[in-house]
Amino acid sequence: MDNNPPNPQLDPKIADLERRLRLALRHQPAPAGLRTRVLAQAQIRRTSQHGRTWIFQRLAASLVLAAVFAGLVAWRQAEERRKGEAAREQVLTALRITSHALKNAGTRINDSSNDDSH
Amino acid sequence: MKPVHVFSTLLALALAAPVAALAQDQLPTPSPIEKSLADRAEHTTEVTLDRNMLAFAAKFMDSKDKDQAAVSDMLKGLQGVYVREYQFAKEHSYTTDDIDGLRKYFESSDWSPMVKERTKGVATGTDVFVKLVNGQMQGLFVLDAEDKELSLVLILGPIDIEHLSQLGGNFGIPKDAVKKAEKKVTK
Repeated sequence: MDNNPPNPQLDPKIADLERRLRLALRHQPAPAGLRTRVLAQAQIRRTSQHGRTWIFQRLAASLVLAAVFAGLVAWRQAEERRKGEAAREQVLTALRITSHALKNAGTRINDSSNDDSH
Repeated sequence: MKPVHVFSTLLALALAAPVAALAQDQLPTPSPIEKSLADRAEHTTEVTLDRNMLAFAAKFMDSKDKDQAAVSDMLKGLQGVYVREYQFAKEHSYTTDDIDGLRKYFESSDWSPMVKERTKGVATGTDVFVKLVNGQMQGLFVLDAEDKELSLVLILGPIDIEHLSQLGGNFGIPKDAVKKAEKKVTK
């Protein structure tokens, strides 16, 4: 394209546009070190993005673990309370039966004492 | 006898003594009679609590509640509680042999009979055995056989009569029965 000479038959305005276009589109070599700089920037961006993702992943995992742990502790406490209350009820039941049996024993002692005294 | 044999015999005795003592303080395993009674009963209540469970239950007693606080105090030091209550639909659903079988466990030198009440010809009666160690009550066994009900109570460990008296009225334990039992024990 650059090697083609301007067409003398064209309108001077168009010829001027063509000339300016040629000038603007001519090949220019990249500045020295541009490739290295671009690659370095991309690497930095990639690294920082990876770091952020990793932090978010760790945070999410920690939150999940904390939630699971809290759930386990709450379940264990509830289970222990349930067992404790069941044991307490058993003790009270045992006391009720004991008191009933002792009451009967007392009545029999009383009766036999009264029989002995007569 | 060789010295080695003497030593091994002494060692065996030394090891056997605590085991025997432990066995005395352990809760009994349910006898076949109990299983048979449970089969015949309309309603059965079984409570077996060892020392650990009693301590655990004590933690859940409401300390603000006077009665429960007293129970919690009473539970301290107890080795175990073993309670069975059988309620029958018909009268005399058990035999004298059943009661004798249940009583057999306690007819040893460790247990002293305190109350023994029988009705001739009928399988009803009350037995109270106590285990005394150095003049202190370390166990209480009550077997109460009514027409339609059979109750078996075994409490192992130091039983404070004062504590038991404090529970009188609150849980239906009559103070008179306890006091009279105490008098009989000290006689």
